[in-house]
Amino acid sequence: MAGKIIVVTSGKGGVGKTTTVANLGTVLAKDKHSVVMIDADIGLRNLDVVMGLENRIVYNLVDIVEGKCRKEQAMIRDRKVNNLFVIPAAQTREKDAVKPEEMVELCRELAEEFDFVLIDCPAGIERGFKMAVAGANTAIVVTTPEVSAIRDADRVIGLLEANLLKDVHLIVNRLNHKMVKRGDMMSTGDIVSLLSIPLLGVVPESEEVVISTNRGTPLVHEKNSRAGQAFKKIARRLNGENIPFDDDQEDGLLGRMKRFFRG
Amino acid sequence: MEQEKAIPLQIKANRDGLMLVPHPLASFQSIMEDVDNRLKSTRDFFSCSEMTLDLRGHPLASDEIAALYRLLLEKAKVQLMEVMLTEDVTFYLQPTKVLPPPKPRQPDPETYAFAEDAAVVVRTTCRSGVRIESPGDCVVLGDVNPGAEILAVGDVIVFGNLRGIAHAGALGDRSAKIWALSIEPSQIRIADLVAVPGKGDRRAVKRYEIAEIQKNRIEVITM
Repeated sequence: MAGKIIVVTSGKGGVGKTTTVANLGTVLAKDKHSVVMIDADIGLRNLDVVMGLENRIVYNLVDIVEGKCRKEQAMIRDRKVNNLFVIPAAQTREKDAVKPEEMVELCRELAEEFDFVLIDCPAGIERGFKMAVAGANTAIVVTTPEVSAIRDADRVIGLLEANLLKDVHLIVNRLNHKMVKRGDMMSTGDIVSLLSIPLLGVVPESEEVVISTNRGTPLVHEKNSRAGQAFKKIARRLNGENIPFDDDQEDGLLGRMKRFFRG
Repeated sequence: MEQEKAIPLQIKANRDGLMLVPHPLASFQSIMEDVDNRLKSTRDFFSCSEMTLDLRGHPLASDEIAALYRLLLEKAKVQLMEVMLTEDVTFYLQPTKVLPPPKPRQPDPETYAFAEDAAVVVRTTCRSGVRIESPGDCVVLGDVNPGAEILAVGDVIVFGNLRGIAHAGALGDRSAKIWALSIEPSQIRIADLVAVPGKGDRRAVKRYEIAEIQKNRIEVITM
């Protein structure tokens, strides 16, 4: 059975696509799925840094496509999780170094070997975006609760639907529950009603994300991280498990106590 | 089987009547020739019938649709009623008979020669970056999100929230209206007037809203 090919995209930059790919990939691999992550942001590669394996790169995505190496040679195995691989982007090339057809072919081959192929899409809606989404059969749109990010997400969803990608899901990243309560931030409900696609999960705003990115270890390795927990839930929902959304909303003492008793 | 594939334009009969389906790979030239031959060979069989053009597999330019429309009308008095652009967007060339006769308008005769009061029906949410233009009324069965634009020579009717830009009476008809379940647009235009919503007025639940020109000003009326 062929695996799922998932593109993580947003339109706007800096909303957390790479963080989402790194964490989802790690959780899925920890749950005993075989996972390969492709950094499709050619010229601005990030995923390798977030995963902490920058210094082990020999070959990259463009090398595979141009036939300079076999695809196994460019796949870097994660140090902590066995069945997790990263195909880094080329840093010194342009976005058009990989054509959409070539991406489709590569994704198809990888999906035969792996349960999940996660694609980290570049920001924007130009060539790089078209190349990154070409091979995918599922899309995850990441947005933050800001009007500008939501506007871009809406545009991207429209483009995905025009590309006949019907399986589109939403992740709301960096939600600050306190600000939502004060009425200073759009709530998840507002965002979902505007974008009208199914919600996969909400990731709370957290300083841990910056720290983990700088360290090069995905958050989900930390046991007590709230953002990490959110990514774990998202991964399970992606796998078809039915996990309620209710305690995503809870913060403050009561929520923390409930979480404590639940374990 | 091979023979059937080679037909540039299929005429299919279904529940709703006759459907013209161009072959995805056929050139416009060959489609036109095929129509011409078919009408000649069947003589009066299709005469005075009404047809739908299905462009889901083979998009045509608007002047090509116009040429096809004229050919069908002149050669066999076949009336092209609807054009299906995609699964979600259908373009009605002729007003359906149930509707009352529309008010007289004067659209640009060059551009709208074949569709004086055509309505465009969009069966999906209009997302940011989408621009819908209609030579008649425009009906959206879904939301119009910020960043989307709906332009209609007649009325704009939105069965959902209008949050993007809507322009009714685009050719100057000041009696045109904008209808929506809720109007919270970035901007609305009727004919030559433009209105921006007032700041910070959140209103209670309502049935629907209409924007129209009253005393040279766009007013939004809650029903």
